[in-house]
Amino acid sequence: MKILVVCGSGLGSSFILELNVKKALEVLGKEAEVTHTDLASAKAEKADIYLGAADIVNELAKDNAIIVSIVNMMNILEIKEKLEPWL
Amino acid sequence: MLTQLLTKDCIQLSNFVQSWQEAIRLAANPLVRQNKIEQRYIEAMIQSIEQSGPYVVITPKVAIPHARPTDGVHALAMSLLRLQKPVFFSPNHPVFLIIVLAATDNASHLQALVDLTLVLQDSDQIDSLIACQHEDAIWEKIKQYTTKESTE
Repeated sequence: MKILVVCGSGLGSSFILELNVKKALEVLGKEAEVTHTDLASAKAEKADIYLGAADIVNELAKDNAIIVSIVNMMNILEIKEKLEPWL
Repeated sequence: MLTQLLTKDCIQLSNFVQSWQEAIRLAANPLVRQNKIEQRYIEAMIQSIEQSGPYVVITPKVAIPHARPTDGVHALAMSLLRLQKPVFFSPNHPVFLIIVLAATDNASHLQALVDLTLVLQDSDQIDSLIACQHEDAIWEKIKQYTTKESTE
């Protein structure tokens, strides 16, 4: 299972969100490979789940990929609830 | 790490700004003055939000505008602007804290971001920063929130 966290530049928001995705996985007791990148690179990178702010991930039209959009990137509970069904 | 980067001279308080663009320009001002970023970095941050939406509002009340290292960054830097009245990044995104991030590469700023999550993970801590009436008080609180966790 690979989770790719995406933001516009791949520098700020996606890293913060990656940290919180890892915390959410810990709470869930699940393991996954989590990395972050920018939108342009994400379009060319393969992952099972693409996760990011709605503004960003909605631009990722991927076949067979799960897209998870997060409203509050600091809210571990929201991340956990949105990821759980896919793990 | 965060309080070494986000020094007191990079923290500002303001009552009110007209627009989110103005908020970003004002928030980034100390970094331009200190020659850590070029003017064009500010325009790049604004453009990035105009293109991809207000996702820099990473949690209610807080925005972390940033652009790329190649958009005119001379040194790793951060600055913070605290507003008394919110500025709206979208109708659903009122923001009181604007934290400008200028990275020189894709790694050297990451520890500061780890620290920043310690500050922003608790909405009470965010509210308490917004309530501050002095730059020193904001700096002290950030220091408290970021050292509390690392000593545990």
